[in-house]
Amino acid sequence: MSVQRTAEPTLEAVRHAREAIEYCYERGWTDGLPVVPPAEEFVEEFLAVVDRDPDEVVIEQEHLGRKCTVRLAAANAVMAGCKPEYFPVVLAALEALNRLPGSRGLLQSTTGQAVFVVVNGPIRNQLGFNTKDNLFSPGDRPNATVGRAIRLVIMNALGIRPHEFDQSTHGQPGKFSLCIAENEEESPWDPLHVERGFARDESTVTVGLVRGTMQVEQRDSKEPEVILETIADSMSYAGTYFPTPRGHAGIVVMGPEHAQLIAEAGWSKARAREYLWEHFGRPAGLLRRLAKGALLDPSLPDDAFVRFAHSPETILIVVAGARNAGISTVCPTFIGQQVTVPIRMKSTSH
Amino acid sequence: MADAIRFEEQGVPAAAIITDAFRTTADAMAQTQGMPGYPYAVIPHPVSSLSPEEVRQRAEQVLPEVLRLLGIEEGVEEAEDERAADS
Repeated sequence: MSVQRTAEPTLEAVRHAREAIEYCYERGWTDGLPVVPPAEEFVEEFLAVVDRDPDEVVIEQEHLGRKCTVRLAAANAVMAGCKPEYFPVVLAALEALNRLPGSRGLLQSTTGQAVFVVVNGPIRNQLGFNTKDNLFSPGDRPNATVGRAIRLVIMNALGIRPHEFDQSTHGQPGKFSLCIAENEEESPWDPLHVERGFARDESTVTVGLVRGTMQVEQRDSKEPEVILETIADSMSYAGTYFPTPRGHAGIVVMGPEHAQLIAEAGWSKARAREYLWEHFGRPAGLLRRLAKGALLDPSLPDDAFVRFAHSPETILIVVAGARNAGISTVCPTFIGQQVTVPIRMKSTSH
Repeated sequence: MADAIRFEEQGVPAAAIITDAFRTTADAMAQTQGMPGYPYAVIPHPVSSLSPEEVRQRAEQVLPEVLRLLGIEEGVEEAEDERAADS
């Protein structure tokens, strides 16, 4: 189903729409951008595409006394500009976020965490998610509005708003919306959800928390070691590191050109991950000089390489973007876990 | 703040300490937890970059306020007496 529009709206209708948008601003429901007013009948359209009790809780923040029901999630998905058929993706992402270690507290953190959503499986193409050029950029409604719906739920339903419970020192643009879909068609490796035990024809969302997105430039080599070391170096900048016994983690959105060059040289995704892990770190001397050496063994020489992550499994690789340049993106994170959940479609609709 | 309020609800005296950069959040949390205006001790921001000695100084500075929040005013006098005796 989709939102029906029968004729060009009259000027009068547009004036009413603008008034309703202003009403939403006055109620404090927006992220600073206009929202679609969540009239009850619009919310009902969203509830109709899922087999869920509208009062079921999908995510909560117990310490804030706040819960988000399926109905509240639908209202926020309406406001975000989603089409009704996107709603199962929004719900799955909220369920994944609710199960993510660290989602109690980190959503309020000074560290400015954005919810990072990756969509896999056939639903990407059915709903028109962008997997290619301008992956992180404006322009594609599913990516833009599904990510935005998650943030509006966090602000409106969970009560984590700027200037109050959201204490981000800087935050980041990804907090408006950060939803991508894997470019499974141009990846030389198994997609993320298959790697995590789902069938290729299942659709999933994977959710993590990230501190930003940083592009990595390397189009002057086709050697896997050179490409991967460039990516690992970008994962390891001093400002991303702080001493923690939990270790660090990394999310790499690898451009198809990089992934294909690495695979053509005979490397599996696991081997690429292992190589990233080995080079994700900095020399002990640098860490000590920058007051980040608190956990280091004093006998460790200054030129010893300190790995930031405990194991290769803490590094997530997703292949996405256009196959037009040697560019990847690293997303700094210190959560070594992401949660993948299947997208549950209404039983009659498939 | 939430933890301190939970303790108070269970009848256990508690004192929350925050840095001055977190007043807004602390007040919002007190409101959310149903105890608007719940008092807390405030120390100057930042803390994480302090040396161990500077952290000790912060602790000493805030101690009387913490004792007051815990409802043991006498403790303050005793501590002050001891400090006076030491110096």
